[in-house]
Amino acid sequence: MDYRTVLTTCTYCGCGCNFFLEVLDGKAIGTIPCKTSPVNEGKLCIKGWNVHEFIHNEKRLKRPLLRKNGRLEEVSWDEALDYTAARLKEIKEKSGPDSIGFLTSAKVTNEENYILQKFARAGVNTNNVDHCARL
Amino acid sequence: MTNSIEEFEQADCIFIIGSNTSVAHPLIATRIYRAKKNGAKIIVADPRKVHISEIADIYVRQNMGTDVALLNGIMNVILSNGWHDQAFIDERTEEFEQFKKVVEAYPPEKAAEVCGVSAEDIRLIAECYGKAEKASIVYCMGITQHTTGVDNVKSLANLAMLTGSLGKESSGVNPLRGQNNVQGACDMGGLPNVLTAYQPVTSPAASEKFAKAWGVEKLSQKVGLTIPGMLEGLENDTVKALFVLGENPVVSDPDVHHVKKALEKAELLVVQDIFFTATAELADVVLPGVSFAEKDGTFSNTERRVSRVRRAVEPIGESRQDWQIIQDISNRFGYPMNYASPEDIFNEMTLLTPSYAGINYPRLEGDGIQWPCPTAEHPGTRFLHKDKIARGKGLFHAVGFLPPAEIIDQQYPFWLSTGRVFAHYHTGTMTRNSPTLDAEIAEGFLELNVDDAEKINVSNGEWVTISSRRGSIDVKAMLTKRIAQGSVFMPFHFIESCANILTNPAHDPICKIPELKVCAVNVVKRPLPA
Amino acid sequence: MIDSIKDKVKELLDTGEIKGFLGLVRKNGHIGPHLFQKGDELVDLSLGDNKIAGDSRYPLNKYLMNIAKAYPEETFGVLIRGCDDRGLQALYTWNQLNPKKVVAVGITCPQELADACECLKPFPEDITAGECAKAGEQKSVAAVDALVLSERFSYWMDEFVKCIKCYGCSNVCPMCFCNECSLKCDDLVKSGELPPEIPVFHHTRAMHMVGRCVDCGLCEEACPSGIPLRTLYKKVGSIMEDKFDFKTGMIRGQRSPLNKIDSAEGKK
Ligand code: SF4
Ligand code: SF4
Ligand code: SF4
Repeated sequence: MDYRTVLTTCTYCGCGCNFFLEVLDGKAIGTIPCKTSPVNEGKLCIKGWNVHEFIHNEKRLKRPLLRKNGRLEEVSWDEALDYTAARLKEIKEKSGPDSIGFLTSAKVTNEENYILQKFARAGVNTNNVDHCARL
Repeated sequence: MTNSIEEFEQADCIFIIGSNTSVAHPLIATRIYRAKKNGAKIIVADPRKVHISEIADIYVRQNMGTDVALLNGIMNVILSNGWHDQAFIDERTEEFEQFKKVVEAYPPEKAAEVCGVSAEDIRLIAECYGKAEKASIVYCMGITQHTTGVDNVKSLANLAMLTGSLGKESSGVNPLRGQNNVQGACDMGGLPNVLTAYQPVTSPAASEKFAKAWGVEKLSQKVGLTIPGMLEGLENDTVKALFVLGENPVVSDPDVHHVKKALEKAELLVVQDIFFTATAELADVVLPGVSFAEKDGTFSNTERRVSRVRRAVEPIGESRQDWQIIQDISNRFGYPMNYASPEDIFNEMTLLTPSYAGINYPRLEGDGIQWPCPTAEHPGTRFLHKDKIARGKGLFHAVGFLPPAEIIDQQYPFWLSTGRVFAHYHTGTMTRNSPTLDAEIAEGFLELNVDDAEKINVSNGEWVTISSRRGSIDVKAMLTKRIAQGSVFMPFHFIESCANILTNPAHDPICKIPELKVCAVNVVKRPLPA
Repeated sequence: MIDSIKDKVKELLDTGEIKGFLGLVRKNGHIGPHLFQKGDELVDLSLGDNKIAGDSRYPLNKYLMNIAKAYPEETFGVLIRGCDDRGLQALYTWNQLNPKKVVAVGITCPQELADACECLKPFPEDITAGECAKAGEQKSVAAVDALVLSERFSYWMDEFVKCIKCYGCSNVCPMCFCNECSLKCDDLVKSGELPPEIPVFHHTRAMHMVGRCVDCGLCEEACPSGIPLRTLYKKVGSIMEDKFDFKTGMIRGQRSPLNKIDSAEGKK
């Protein structure tokens, strides 16, 4: 048996509450607000208390999809990544770096935001980088 | 935010404007409740009688899109009663005289005519805020999502500077960030004009520093496109490809029909997400990333506190770490990346980011750290603008009232505003897939004033058709007194009744925030299906 | 105190008497619940005192129910204080936990915590470590009872109106275990409204805690709206004591008058 509590930060609003995800045999089964967190001191809102519920939802995406003949089909990672990189390259060569845009996200981590804007700026050579800050 | 969340508790006066705090930022409402218990006066100004107004000492309902008039009225009263802080103004601000001239043109009676708040209430607010020793302002999208969003924000800054309510404990101007890591996304350079820590892409020094660190000859110094710019580019064929990480513009952005049309034109649309969103439906490639529960990393909250996200469960199915997906694409694209972990990425980032320079993962154990944290010994910063305003001296801005981009008329006689409900978040991709939250609120609705409902002969729960110049949708009416006559409100989380089909993409000329908080619509009882 | 607890738990784990020990741990600079399965993890064991005594208590019995449900054949140890002990006793009578499969390791609360909690019995029946403090003085209910009716009414209404319907009070409660929660029954409390209809929401919960609440105070600590929930449930508890001479979990094996409906005793 494997029971663990993992301290993390809420993925919803900007309060950034801290809680433990209660994990039993690899499944998140509960959310436990962290009493010693300076932000939320053992409290959460309704969204936070139920944040474990969407994690194993069967509608989660499990495999890459690629549009073929107008339809999105499941493909291997290699195929999806090769296709994406090749198309980006082709478009950059044909229409220039500023013909590519990147939406980073207020929902992913700092590290992921950093690495995507780095790819946009250093890899593709465009500053077309924005996210939903305004929404 | 210039202050820390906990500082609210010690404020003497908290002025909440355009923020549905207990719904959108519940754990900040907690601090405001405590402040109230400690004796603070609470002022709430909002076109809707939002939940937090229940504890307000003064609640006023300004007309939609008239915040500048209200604020100028308040400042007029503060000035004419001498409640302003002349010493603070002299020492730490500039351009006061010009600002004063504009504000003098807004005596409370005149402001009242525009904003619909009585002159008496304007005086009450001015006295309450103006005389408070430690006064804090809290605002959110109700202030920013307007074509005059920047004017609104500047007006609030004016108000704080006028009374010297800045750069002190429990005094300041506090924008609440809508999504959990908006702060972080901005800090990390997720914007077209800046690199990390707001280093301008146009600055040759910054550009050179990053180019060197990133091993490329040269970075583009041309400011990039914002989201509306990219959409426009797609439409006129100057933008060909869009890479979307964890966003869902087809639900979240104004004028959805237009957004869809633009995205459909893309030669290549890549969507990296955890659910099959409405935006993913249009994609050429969909890449399954992982949720916060499956990853390591950091978020930066609204009080600039960087805290750890820790991997609790394994990735679902064949989904992969988002950073690895990006790294793999970059390598295949021809720009090599070789990170071993998120911590590795973080450590590179801090070398280039002065406000994060002193932070590392081991230091984030415990309470996390609030940036700026320039060195490994620095404890982090609880409140900004201490002693000196960040940009040197605080600049007063002379701001006059401008009406919203779209005004009600005979054809579209209602003001529509959009926002959140307590059980859902943003486009609902996560919350609507959580059974408890879905059970709480399963579908969208339109808040309609009871008297208006009578006029158009609609009862509670009945279907109405709501239309704007951009489109129309059907939704159930919820009759309430929370909203003023002539105004309606809709949450934007629900794709089947997507509020953003109606909203106006007209945006603020400077910061490009769309006017999601006000547009003109018509509401009628839904005609019976033929 | 903590060393004797560590020794005791180590012994239980080493002898294989328990599969794991549900206690508190210091990790990542915080205190949180943890299932100890190896003796060497015990160096980081915590009793839930961070800045002040008992400020980092968690409803361990609640998590124990989650684990026991998945592993009904295994025996687990659990760290308990006085309130947790009452909780365990009551959970046994409600058939939520099997007493044969639980080994409780009991600690006492210091006087300062007993006073802050106004706790009637700040120690468990079987004490592994610690000295017994005196029962705390009962003040909070008396203070509200002293208000005239109209003031008392507006006192509670002003508190309830702040509710953000997080359900934290019931999520955290070690004595909330119903599969179907009446707070989520649309006929009682309409879904989707903020604040939830007052005082119906709070009265519904108070009614359902009759004979169950063990006065651990965790609900009040979890309430983001600062509503004095513990006082409310203490009041309910005091009515139970007056009318039925029943104090939840105080007497081993004693069932709540409301838990007897289908039993012979209840039919009498
Ligand atoms: S628990 Fe609620 S208040 Fe806290 S960060 Fe998450 S969404 Fe925000
Ligand atoms: S005090 Fe609150 S959390 Fe504890 S048992 Fe009673 S109702 Fe439940
Ligand atoms: S914990 Fe407080 S705010 Fe949350 S539902 Fe219970 S009473 Fe309401």
